[in-house]
Amino acid sequence: MAESFTLRVCFRKTGRLRHLSHLEVARACERAARRAALPYAVSAGFTPRMRIAFGPALPVGTAGEREYLDLVLTRFLPPAEACAALASVTVEELSPVACAYVSGKERSLAAALTIAEYDVHLEGGISHEGLERRIHAFVRTGTLSVEHKGKQKVYDLAEALPKEPLVVSCEDRVLIRMAVRMSERGSLRPDVFVAAALGPEVHVAVTRTDLLIEDQGVWRRPL
Amino acid sequence: MSEAAAPEDLWSRVEPLLARVERPARYIDREWGAVVRPIAAYRVALMYPDAYEVGMANQALQVLAGRLSTLPGVAVERVFVPWTDMAAALRQADVPLFTLESCVPVASCDLLGVTLPYELTYTNVLEALDLARIPLRASDRREGDPLVVAGGPSVHNPEPMAPFFDAMLIGDGEDAVIELVDTHRAVTGRGGSRSEVLQALAEVSGVYVPSLYERAKGGLRPRAGAPARVRRRVVADLSAYESPICPVVPYADVVHDRVTVEVLRGCSRGCRFCQAGMVYRPVRERRADDVVRDAIASLRCTGYEEVSLTSLSTADHSQLEEVLRRLTRRLEGTGIAISVPSLRVDSFTLSLARLLGEGRKSGLTFAPEAGSQRLRDVINKNVTEDELLATTRAAFASGWRRVKLYFMLGLPTETDEDVTAIGGLVARVMQAAREATPKDERGAVRVAVSVSTFVPKAHTPFQWAGQLPTAEVLRRQRVLRDSMPRKGVEFSWHDAEVSFLEAVLARGDRRVADGIEAAWRSGAVFDAWTERFSLSRWHEAFAAVGIEPSAIAFEPFEPGATLPWAHIDSGLAEPFLLLEWERAQAGHTTPDCTFESCTGCGVCGALGADIVLAGGERHG
Repeated sequence: MAESFTLRVCFRKTGRLRHLSHLEVARACERAARRAALPYAVSAGFTPRMRIAFGPALPVGTAGEREYLDLVLTRFLPPAEACAALASVTVEELSPVACAYVSGKERSLAAALTIAEYDVHLEGGISHEGLERRIHAFVRTGTLSVEHKGKQKVYDLAEALPKEPLVVSCEDRVLIRMAVRMSERGSLRPDVFVAAALGPEVHVAVTRTDLLIEDQGVWRRPL
Repeated sequence: MSEAAAPEDLWSRVEPLLARVERPARYIDREWGAVVRPIAAYRVALMYPDAYEVGMANQALQVLAGRLSTLPGVAVERVFVPWTDMAAALRQADVPLFTLESCVPVASCDLLGVTLPYELTYTNVLEALDLARIPLRASDRREGDPLVVAGGPSVHNPEPMAPFFDAMLIGDGEDAVIELVDTHRAVTGRGGSRSEVLQALAEVSGVYVPSLYERAKGGLRPRAGAPARVRRRVVADLSAYESPICPVVPYADVVHDRVTVEVLRGCSRGCRFCQAGMVYRPVRERRADDVVRDAIASLRCTGYEEVSLTSLSTADHSQLEEVLRRLTRRLEGTGIAISVPSLRVDSFTLSLARLLGEGRKSGLTFAPEAGSQRLRDVINKNVTEDELLATTRAAFASGWRRVKLYFMLGLPTETDEDVTAIGGLVARVMQAAREATPKDERGAVRVAVSVSTFVPKAHTPFQWAGQLPTAEVLRRQRVLRDSMPRKGVEFSWHDAEVSFLEAVLARGDRRVADGIEAAWRSGAVFDAWTERFSLSRWHEAFAAVGIEPSAIAFEPFEPGATLPWAHIDSGLAEPFLLLEWERAQAGHTTPDCTFESCTGCGVCGALGADIVLAGGERHG
């Protein structure tokens, strides 16, 4: 087998482009890799495809500041050079943040990333007053039952929320900062959690600020 | 004309609506290749009258956007028709239709250019005008309203949509749009009124200004200054124009999501039902060097995973094999596919099959159109069954496992024998395909059969024919279904009711516009989307305005009658079309003038154009 190099790219999906779906982001990233003329590897078979893999999907409408993809290259390119090449062919709202090589033996992003941190901005001048108390009281109710596509899903909040959510005032806006543990069975959506805790009339804008690997109780970035 | 100052950016009012609608990627802009120019002296909105994912595939608008953006001070923006959920949200929030790039009101633009690709998009045009708050009818527009101009295939019978447009551009737009914009800017620049603009536009070659023609006995009568017949525009040499190298690359999943390079324009095979084959004459090929250069440059600029070599009949290009050989070599190991749509049975050779079979295989589609040789002679589809079977064997021996065949029902002179002949032909194609496939793979062999209903079109030899009444079409569909083999055949129809409406809108005169408006007012929009189409709504609309649609669709025109499109000069000589109509009924075929001698269609002489073959000569 020919030598290959796995380039891990941290990228952002922000601004207007937070309205893109995961599939739309994936396709756009593949096209960016081609525009950047990166020496990408192609799978064998009847319909050869670029060897690229993504971290956990972001829902339509949710922004991401540190999202990840792994791209297999057929020759070594200095990471800074790869990052600059990608930056020159992408729009700011969907562009690389950092690049580095990882071992080809590393677990896939989808399996390795189990912690997601979010900022949930509350819209419409909601006051900080009493918010934290309401949220913590809701967490202490123990479970949250969510209906998704006709199926009922029950989240154990102590398990799904590894840290107590924080309420932060930022300029004249209030946001809830929270971490969510992701699992193969699905992960709690922060907008769903906030709607359940504060009522469905609260409008939110969600940003996933970080994706982390949990290694023997310690959280670290994948790059 | 608008001020040079930036018009209102509507984004802050549009964005809150996106959480409530499907596929917000349709409305957000910021794709790779999109150019935002908030300040411009002259703003053009180019609209495809359908949803984003259909309209983004349109190559003509990309070509025109490229041409117009070279003009100093001109900004070019895209507009599509918001899907029904977004349209409702815009109306509810009182937000007007916006352009994608700068997100400004469409009504603030100087020019709204609309391509009319197909009759069933007509109500979408009215929906967009209404959402944009531009008066639907040209006669109701005032000085501050944009100039609303149509172009595209359907303007060859402009009348059903004529009242909704200030001007309509007939034929190739590469140069004509520049002259149109220059004229508009010149007249408004010296303080000229809207009616002075229209008068000046009528003098631009290829531009039809409907308001300057009034109904009179024996057709439309031009007012002073307007030409009696508007002559179609033709660009003489396609190689003088670059293919769009850096088109906008959509995020959303759109149809034909790939690089497209036009390899030739026009087709003179002479199929007698085919409007495109008549109104895009003569054949003008682009040189192999230019095609390869543009394909590679565009792949590099867009990052697409597929390049498509498009035209009405790509395998007819005299240098296609050279183009494919060079592209295949350049794209080796990249995973990038090459697709060649619109293949003709008789020009798909074994070496072409091998060349196309080397990379990723895209679909293979042929259009025999009729099941019997007799009827293929009537329509001048100069393809034999032996050729079709030989081509099928070549393709399946080269690795293809699926072929799609197009047929038409209701062609002039068709009998039940012709209809059942389709089933027989499909069975023999299936047999040939299986024989050319290794035994252990035969289970995968598929023949897809798609059957549409003949719609008589303007400027074709069949323009005098009426459409077969729908009840009879349905009966023949049943006859066909009974004759069709089942195993391995994927069989699909084009709805006969849809084809009926197409015929009404394709053959009607200016009165049909009232029916279109009435249908839109009662909720008709996105008629080309099966789930949205309702013929009963159209029947009620026509009845309300006193139009008898069956008469328009089914009644033949007498040779010599004034046709609704008589004032549009496509360059085709009427005696040629009539002779072709007569030869059809006698079952006589007519050869292609790019292989054999001139057939006297009249286009080259009338339009000052000539056949351009990149390789010097074609091999038949």
